[in-house]
Amino acid sequence: MSIQRDVLKRPSRGSEWFRPIKTRIRRLLLGTGMKSGLLSKAALMLLLIDVGYVYLYPILYMISTMFMSRADLIDPTIIWIPKALYWENLQMAFEGLNYWAGFQQSILISSAAAIGQAFSCALAGYGFARYDFPGKNLLFLLVMLTFVVPPQTIVIPLFLLFRQFGWLDTYLPLIVPEILGLGLKGALFIAIYRQFFLGLPSSLEEAARLDGAGPLTVFTRIMLPLAKPAILVVTLFSFVWHWNDFFLPTMFVRDKGKWTLVRHLSGLQQALDTIYDLDRYGLSSVTEPVKMAGAFLVIVPILLLYFFAQRWFTEGIERTGLVE
Amino acid sequence: MRTRLTLGQKRSLEGFGFVLPWLIGFLVFMAYPLFYSLRMSLSEVQVTATSVNLTYVGLDNYRYAFLQDNVFPVDLSNFLIESLITVPLIVVFSLLVGLMINEEVPGRAFFRAIFFLPVIFSTSEVVMTLFTQGAGGASFVERFEVFQMLVRALPQRLADPINAVMGRFTLVLWNSGVQILVILAALKTIGRNVYEAAAIDGAGRWEVFWKIILPALRPFIVLNAVYTIVDLSLSPFNPILSSVSNHMFNVRTGMGYASAIGWIYFTIVLIALAVVYSLGMRRVNTM
Repeated sequence: MSIQRDVLKRPSRGSEWFRPIKTRIRRLLLGTGMKSGLLSKAALMLLLIDVGYVYLYPILYMISTMFMSRADLIDPTIIWIPKALYWENLQMAFEGLNYWAGFQQSILISSAAAIGQAFSCALAGYGFARYDFPGKNLLFLLVMLTFVVPPQTIVIPLFLLFRQFGWLDTYLPLIVPEILGLGLKGALFIAIYRQFFLGLPSSLEEAARLDGAGPLTVFTRIMLPLAKPAILVVTLFSFVWHWNDFFLPTMFVRDKGKWTLVRHLSGLQQALDTIYDLDRYGLSSVTEPVKMAGAFLVIVPILLLYFFAQRWFTEGIERTGLVE
Repeated sequence: MRTRLTLGQKRSLEGFGFVLPWLIGFLVFMAYPLFYSLRMSLSEVQVTATSVNLTYVGLDNYRYAFLQDNVFPVDLSNFLIESLITVPLIVVFSLLVGLMINEEVPGRAFFRAIFFLPVIFSTSEVVMTLFTQGAGGASFVERFEVFQMLVRALPQRLADPINAVMGRFTLVLWNSGVQILVILAALKTIGRNVYEAAAIDGAGRWEVFWKIILPALRPFIVLNAVYTIVDLSLSPFNPILSSVSNHMFNVRTGMGYASAIGWIYFTIVLIALAVVYSLGMRRVNTM
């Protein structure tokens, strides 16, 4: 692409050199044709920074507020930066969230679900992309149907089903559907894999087949290694979405000892009231900074993950070619 | 004894084998629950420790939802009006941000990372916490007197949902991360040569946007609208989630009624998707 651009530019560069300074400055600022000039670029930058600020405001607010003491909170002269970093909020939130326990549960559920979906959705996506069998189109239509069915429509039969299986208060309801390629946004992941496998040349399998490899060998030895970008994208998204999932874990896991972090966050106020016996002192139970600290603690693991794997999140959709 | 299969049949079987685990999961965790909840919505449900008894009551649950329940219709109407605002808002916002980031501005990757960031926690309880602390509102819009006056002039039924959306404006925009990426990826599919041809024909940027970019993005805008509508199901601000879970264990209304609410919601989602699809795929007379 860059070579092409150079070729296009080069002939004009010579003639541009002799143009009057005025025109050249005008072109630089306002741009020519499809190329935007400095002025419009600056305006665009400003706009992006502005919108970005509004967009990030809640997070900045959260981080700023969680370091504020009660005095800072009331002081009208303090807007963004507290007088001193007040760590007690984080400490309180840490206790109230029952952090280590919740963290372990969240990691456990999210990893199991993500790995399950990454593998099972690859199987289905591969079948849909590389094979022809009767009823394939109908089945893929059903995959798309699972995408639009709201969880609240099927949650009650699922609840009864899991009760019958004796799965309530275990993680099985959150993991087994995932292992079969359903569950949270499973259809989306199947579609991602399907699109990815559709883009690979068919000669890949044929060569392996001639060497006598069976279908599963071809899949695990040749296709899966090639599908690394898609696997990574699906695993990351699935992990993060399961980390945040609230409705289904609340439905199926009522045992407090097995709550995920997100579930603990919604019970933060109650937990702290119990720990500190706040009502007795007539205190306004939990302060805003503690809640902000709690929210921060819940997202900090995935923020770190995002920090390191950011490119895979944002470029993944392009790389796997979902949009084509 | 093995009967010999033709190569084609063998291939079909193999392909079916790959899809089979999903199909089993689909039957157990999707098809059966979907069918069963429809049956429950037409029944009075009694749950004991060991069994579930269904008594067919026809459309009673649905009738109750719209005629007798005085919470659900209000919740539903508020949610629908809010969605009529938020879905177009998210779709347009993601289109604009996608177009902006697609320009060759310094720090593109940085901005892309910023605008995608909320996707990693926008579905969760964290959003709810930020919201209850009032951190996600559109204070910049609310400051305009004109806007306040406009809202006040509207009937209560409309003003309430509008104010609700304004109260979490930024958090609504937070749902556009994936959609922005879709727009960015879609813009990449328009070849450089198309722009060059347009430039040679003397088209300005404005014309290029309306005549080339927008028509090319059309299917992806539809895709984004579909994604946004589906995504709303698990939004922490979706009142249907709590109505279902509240009625589920309510002795008076119970699981039959909760299932009916679930099906009413599902029907509405399907209608919304059909409308979006037919609007989006309608042929436009361009030239």
